[in-house]
Amino acid sequence: MKRNVAIIGGGQTYHAARRHDVDQAEMVNEAVRRALDDAGTTIDEIDAILLGNMEFFEGVHMTDCWLVHGTGVYGKPGLKITTGGTVGATTVCAGAHHVASGLFDKVLCIGFEKQEEGDTGAILSGVAHPLWGRSLAGAALGYFAMMGSSYMANWGATEEHSAMVAVKARQNARKNPYAHLKLDITIEDALNSRMLSYPIRMLDMCPASNGACAVVLADEKTAKKRCKKPVWIRAMETAHNEQFELDWRFVDTKRLIFSKACAGRLYKKLGVTKPAEYFDVFEVYEPATWAELVWYEDLGLCGPGEGFRLIEKGMTNIDGPIPVNPSGGVLSTNCIGASAMLRIWEAALQIRGDAGGHQVPKDVRRAMTTAYGGTNWTVMTALSKTLND
Amino acid sequence: MVQKEQEWISIPMTVDVPFRFAAGQYLSKFMIEMRDNSKIYAVKCPQCGRVQLPPRIVCAECHVKNDEWVELSHEGTLVAFTIMYLPLTDPTTGKPHEPPFVYGSIRLDGSTSVLDHFVNVEPDMDKIWVGMRCRLVLRPQENRIGDLSDILYFDTLPGQVRPK
Repeated sequence: MKRNVAIIGGGQTYHAARRHDVDQAEMVNEAVRRALDDAGTTIDEIDAILLGNMEFFEGVHMTDCWLVHGTGVYGKPGLKITTGGTVGATTVCAGAHHVASGLFDKVLCIGFEKQEEGDTGAILSGVAHPLWGRSLAGAALGYFAMMGSSYMANWGATEEHSAMVAVKARQNARKNPYAHLKLDITIEDALNSRMLSYPIRMLDMCPASNGACAVVLADEKTAKKRCKKPVWIRAMETAHNEQFELDWRFVDTKRLIFSKACAGRLYKKLGVTKPAEYFDVFEVYEPATWAELVWYEDLGLCGPGEGFRLIEKGMTNIDGPIPVNPSGGVLSTNCIGASAMLRIWEAALQIRGDAGGHQVPKDVRRAMTTAYGGTNWTVMTALSKTLND
Repeated sequence: MVQKEQEWISIPMTVDVPFRFAAGQYLSKFMIEMRDNSKIYAVKCPQCGRVQLPPRIVCAECHVKNDEWVELSHEGTLVAFTIMYLPLTDPTTGKPHEPPFVYGSIRLDGSTSVLDHFVNVEPDMDKIWVGMRCRLVLRPQENRIGDLSDILYFDTLPGQVRPK
């Protein structure tokens, strides 16, 4: 990057299924105020504001215009980003590019979703091609169910492994005051929860949350002057998959699909050969349990078909050698436009040592985050404590 | 004095918007061949040789124009499936699919891509598995309308035994 970029502050709302007490602007403003306070700055000092949101889900288009008062963009440069589940990470990525280029010194990035105001499942069908497969494109549920059936058939994993991911996420969420589903559940609870779409049960799937997240990005000079604990954005990568193929769900695919292509490029940039050792914590975008196991493999934390062994051995627990989603992840909180930004913000909190109850019990110097959305694409962001890490 | 609980107002609204989509050069040919001749056509990339379904103008990997049409078998292999227990709304009709129902991804013989569709089998884990052989069933010719709903579902081929 032309200039180094740091996260100098951030904030999030308490995520919940119902937020009838606020409208969209009021909810967004909660996260904006927390982020500005955390960064020790005011809206007057912000040069530009990027808003990330799948406005389609709430049925109000041009939220960047409607929410001017809530975001603080009045009179400032700004734009809106709408890229599916990746929204929040794309917004940070675009913000970082704006800072790295030298165009702005301080950029506020916001992601939000108020899912209860629309019907995300129904609107998601609009992501499918209108004339090919839309009849069955009612939700992401069936997609991840097929991933689960493919995973079990090819690698010999069982529903218990999926349940282990479900339990890890919600037990971690109990340590995170902002998380939506803070559930004290056991593997038996997960295995006995209602079957939605074989092999996905209620507790294998993410909730529909309302919430917002915001982070303040700054250039190196500003960050070092203004911030005690800047978290550095060291590398960003994005990769798209081919439309119609949706082959992330076929776990035995030999293609270099988006997830593997993206991780490969990012690791090459940073010279990473052993990601499980290089990074101290991971925050991945797992709308369903099976996706987390596939991420382990696509990120190279283990070999193909070995992801379920990692969860079985507790390797990815909050106190394990490769902690994944200590925040509770998307399985515990999915306010879509904010979810991918939450991965980045939660990873930054881990590096700062400010994650509180869900802080991983070791020195965290490097973190890796993924996003997932659209019809299969990802945005990955690697963070570090210092520019020498 | 009794504290009155705060009241919040939220207002329901339904938006019904009609659309009309052009199938374009490649999908139109696919729909017409299926409707009139009961044939399933894909396109083959002249460079990588991937046989792509639905047919599309450019190979995403090679960035070259797909111009060879390949007729596919009506039989194929199930590569992933689910038994759906929720009454998923069919966005093309606005009506729910009656649960439980089975759908999956079938790779037709000769194709690199898969086709997602209903599988006409009991929603019973002993009667469906990854690797099952399936056959595509089209709507009776006189009733076809020239869209993907002309494929009714996949039947599983008889006489198959679940692998151990």
